[in-house]
Amino acid sequence: MTSGASEEQRAVSLIELARVEVGYHGAPVLPPIDLTIAAGQAIGVVGPNGSGKTTLVRTMLGLLRPVRGAVQFPLRRRPRFGYVPQRAAADAVFPLTSLEVTLMGRYGLIGPLRRTRPADVEKARAALRDVDAEELAVRPFHALSGGQRQRVLVARALASEPEILVLDEPTNGLDLPSERAMMELVRSFTARGIAVVLISHQLGAVADHVGTLVVVAGHDHPVAVGPRAELLTSERLSRIYERPIVVRVVDGHSVIYVDGGSQR
Amino acid sequence: MGDPTAVMGFWEAWPLWREIVAVAIIAAAMCSFVGVYIVLRRVVFVSAAMSQMSGVGVATAFFLCSVMHVEPHDAPLWLHPLWYAIAFAALGAGLFSLNLGHRRLASETLVGLGYLIAAGSVILILNSPRVSQEAHEVNDLLYGNAVVSTPAQLTIVALTAVVVAVVHALFGKEFRFTMFDAEMARTLGLRTRGWSLLLFLTFALAISVSTRAIGALPAFAFMVIPPAVGLLIGDRMWSVFAISIGVGSVSAFLGYYASFRWSLPTGASMVVASAVFLVPSLLRLRAR
Repeated sequence: MTSGASEEQRAVSLIELARVEVGYHGAPVLPPIDLTIAAGQAIGVVGPNGSGKTTLVRTMLGLLRPVRGAVQFPLRRRPRFGYVPQRAAADAVFPLTSLEVTLMGRYGLIGPLRRTRPADVEKARAALRDVDAEELAVRPFHALSGGQRQRVLVARALASEPEILVLDEPTNGLDLPSERAMMELVRSFTARGIAVVLISHQLGAVADHVGTLVVVAGHDHPVAVGPRAELLTSERLSRIYERPIVVRVVDGHSVIYVDGGSQR
Repeated sequence: MGDPTAVMGFWEAWPLWREIVAVAIIAAAMCSFVGVYIVLRRVVFVSAAMSQMSGVGVATAFFLCSVMHVEPHDAPLWLHPLWYAIAFAALGAGLFSLNLGHRRLASETLVGLGYLIAAGSVILILNSPRVSQEAHEVNDLLYGNAVVSTPAQLTIVALTAVVVAVVHALFGKEFRFTMFDAEMARTLGLRTRGWSLLLFLTFALAISVSTRAIGALPAFAFMVIPPAVGLLIGDRMWSVFAISIGVGSVSAFLGYYASFRWSLPTGASMVVASAVFLVPSLLRLRAR
């Protein structure tokens, strides 16, 4: 359930981290990490709250400088990123429609001193259509529900024609149908060759939707990076989290829980 | 408006007030325009702090004139208080655009510190024995004088408004994105620190020139009240800007008229006139 991207698309590495340490003010919050993201790949970055997931991804996005090492771009240019933050930093006081918010995703491509063109508006509308939010186009952004805002922000990220789309806790606050719809979207993005990075504190929420897992558990634990099939086993997860974890597959879906604890 | 002779007197006195009213309307429109960003960014006291910092510039210019034994009226161009006012306000813009918050000190506390240090510095400089004899003139330059104006002042205010308008026309979309969601803007490759600095520099320009032209209180009021009215009534950015500019301009004129008609303090009349527009907008908000 990882992607429908062609092999050719998959071969294109967009970003590489080799022994990169991430953190703040010179203090790493995670051990060194090696990671490559290729076009059309779906990657899940999972770990408990406060374990360093968002710090890792913000470093990949260029919002934070690595403490050690460097983020490499094999294409010799920074890939186009789309980012939907965990708690949207977008200020809802602004009197903007959903279409205007989505159109902002085009600003990086348009560049300064140039106005938005009808083609940009059409791209923004198409992005809203992609996330099934076209009917929200004229609605004020501040009047939308949490789930609707999330969709509009995904549309804005899509409007930027991203090569890598980063979704931080994309299912937080969503009901089950919305969560399912969001994951269907993720699948459609990877099928179009967009690399998707899903960040979540709930391993079960992303496990079935990614091909590669990055499991972070704080500075004192090595970062585990590998194919989902390798990492998503009771034995590996128990070792990573240092507690008995059970992985079962029920009706094709992974169910993960702490042995003796509640299912997740 | 019950006394028609007073109204006639106002229009007959047109040559007396046309410049200061033009100055007030342009300054009010400019402050009301940039004020939309200031209110949206929730940094209304940044404008007060920048106003004080530009005051330090004026006081510094006068101090330098006295040290160099130059009469302020005959000072060379490089000693003109306006340049120093703009330079010091720009310094404030640079500091405040960085949003220098700290775990123990919120960024608004730093704005407060900037205001207090600047206000204290102005008083200290103006109380230096060399400058005190110019206190009246410095006071006018510091806190403005919405009663009289000169063609030169009108030119300065109009040119400043044109510069601010052109910068916003060219880079409005970058300013909006940076203010709305700086993190996403940076992700898309926008240099948000640079855009934020440029935006704050337009604040500095508007504040330092307007404060000198119409006074600190009305300049501050026009940066807060008309944008608040605009945000209460308008649903789109363009309508908020239009309402804010309209309310600011009309308030400047009404305030001056009320001041002329009933011999009221001009700056305070402008502030109250703009505050009147809050009433229908608050009623509309309640009705929603």
